Amino acid sequence: MSQYQRPGLKKIEAFLYHETGLLDRMQLREWIDLFTPTGDYWMPVTPDQEDPVNHISIFYDDRDLMEIRLRHFDNPRSHSKDFTIRSSHVLGNVQLTDFDEGTGDCQVKCNFQCVMYYRDQQQLYAGTCDYHLVLIDGRYHIQRKRVDLINCDAPHGSIQTYV
Amino acid sequence: MSYSVEDIEKLVEPARVHRKVYTDEEIFDLEMERVWGRTWIFAGHASEVPNAGDYKTFNIGSQSMLMVRNRTNDDISVFYNRCTHKGAKLVGDGKGCAKAFRCPYHAWTFATDGKLLATPPTKTLETSGFAPDDPEYNLRPAAQIDVYHGFVFVNLDANAPNLNEYFGDSLTSIDNMVERSPEGELEIAGGVLRYRHDCNWKSFVENLNDNMHPMATHQSAIEACQSYAKELPEGQEVPETVHILGPFGSSYDFFEDMSHVVFPNGHSYSGNKVSIHSAYPPVPDYVEAMETSYGKEKTKEIFSCARHNTVYYPSLTIKGAIQAIRVVRPISVNCTDIETYTFRLKGAPDEMLKRTLLYSRLINSPSSIVGADDLEVYERVQSGLRSQGHDWVSMERQKDNDEPQADGSIEATGSSELPFRNQYKYWLQLMTNTDTVKIKA
Repeated sequence: MSQYQRPGLKKIEAFLYHETGLLDRMQLREWIDLFTPTGDYWMPVTPDQEDPVNHISIFYDDRDLMEIRLRHFDNPRSHSKDFTIRSSHVLGNVQLTDFDEGTGDCQVKCNFQCVMYYRDQQQLYAGTCDYHLVLIDGRYHIQRKRVDLINCDAPHGSIQTYV
Repeated sequence: MSYSVEDIEKLVEPARVHRKVYTDEEIFDLEMERVWGRTWIFAGHASEVPNAGDYKTFNIGSQSMLMVRNRTNDDISVFYNRCTHKGAKLVGDGKGCAKAFRCPYHAWTFATDGKLLATPPTKTLETSGFAPDDPEYNLRPAAQIDVYHGFVFVNLDANAPNLNEYFGDSLTSIDNMVERSPEGELEIAGGVLRYRHDCNWKSFVENLNDNMHPMATHQSAIEACQSYAKELPEGQEVPETVHILGPFGSSYDFFEDMSHVVFPNGHSYSGNKVSIHSAYPPVPDYVEAMETSYGKEKTKEIFSCARHNTVYYPSLTIKGAIQAIRVVRPISVNCTDIETYTFRLKGAPDEMLKRTLLYSRLINSPSSIVGADDLEVYERVQSGLRSQGHDWVSMERQKDNDEPQADGSIEATGSSELPFRNQYKYWLQLMTNTDTVKIKA
């Protein structure tokens, strides 16, 4: 008999809306705390990139780097962060692509569009997200969030915060 | 306006330059012709095109170029990426492997050594007056090409001095990066990052040897890093991220000691004796591999050269101690793409490439907290220089202490703005040279 029931999509979507909502409201402290202690955030620089360590990426943050980034945001002399960042995520096509009955782990895929505004300039980031979610004390945590931008290999200006 | 030599001379004084140098589109166009059209520009690394037919495109200003390992003699060739018929760009941007290059417009087909192989048949070719075997129809190669330890450079001017003469002793920085491989060879690995900078290309190039900015520009990144490191529980290993970001927060005294050496033709490096790369924790297997190849004494000497950035004016900057390079690709007067490439040291443990990539991600990526604060100041310079309140940009610090050595190089203390003065001295020389660039060798 399996230990865990396959979650309904509504439950998964609620988690994703919560997670991207924290980014949209720039509640980075709460956002980082959604990750497991060994969790990471990865934005590859090529489509179908397999390796975050032996190939360059746009982002590949472990918890250490997330914590440093958070403190950089809060520092009054981080001049590239002088203005408020506003973003708006829209998620769609959410699928539970894999589920482990033994652990409750979920692999989730969705499409996203994120409009980000910083000092008179609006950027559109779009692509797919892959989440590896794990259950800790009955609540979902992120082991990995992978963000594949459609234009991952284009020249980018500064990407001010997590997408 | 149209700039005369006298007009250009008025823009550069020994220790200050006019703001138009960074903001005027006409100056940018002249730079592409007289600076980028006459100097040795980095095309790519030989390891990017390992097999016959491998190619990649790159830009020199607005001109698309094509670097290819030709199938005729396995050498690397660089051509203007333009069909010799109607002028269509021959190869779309990117890289790949080709048997030959076929123009999508009228099917003119060129061998990888540039020779026109075929044009579509016409019944009346013989009497048409069109002679496809005229060498004028072959792809036009860059006037000069030279490969130094795998670094492929081109010069679009046949009259320019050769590569060794042009770079002189600044080439010792490439030598050192190559020697850091136990096999004495580098290989491009780990992909490329392209970071768009809304600023003039010179702001980026100057900053690479600007020792006085980290304490201000990167104060926030360093404080973030330090405050996190302090919170780590006792006994917990310090993450490598902290080892890399930490030295950017070194003191003014440290950066003062990180002195400069400049060379004729705008080249320079900082970190003559020490640099922010001096104190990384050693990777034991790597040190062992190096000592096996070179012996203890020579290995120590190789590692003691921990230069920070070396600027190969105007297009390439390298960090030998970390095996990362940044390539400058100007797009317009206020837009520049910076490409970051990383190298595998052949014969070194995989750990070394991982560290290089970690460094690059932390410092050179569009997501970098260090890079974003750099770009912020470049963009503020680009914006601030529109101000009519002041016309001049100052680079006077330590200007009275520029004493050239017999070989033409000059050493200066870390706070000196000598590297900028050295760049503009050469810039002025190029920009006031109205001789026609000799495109054909």
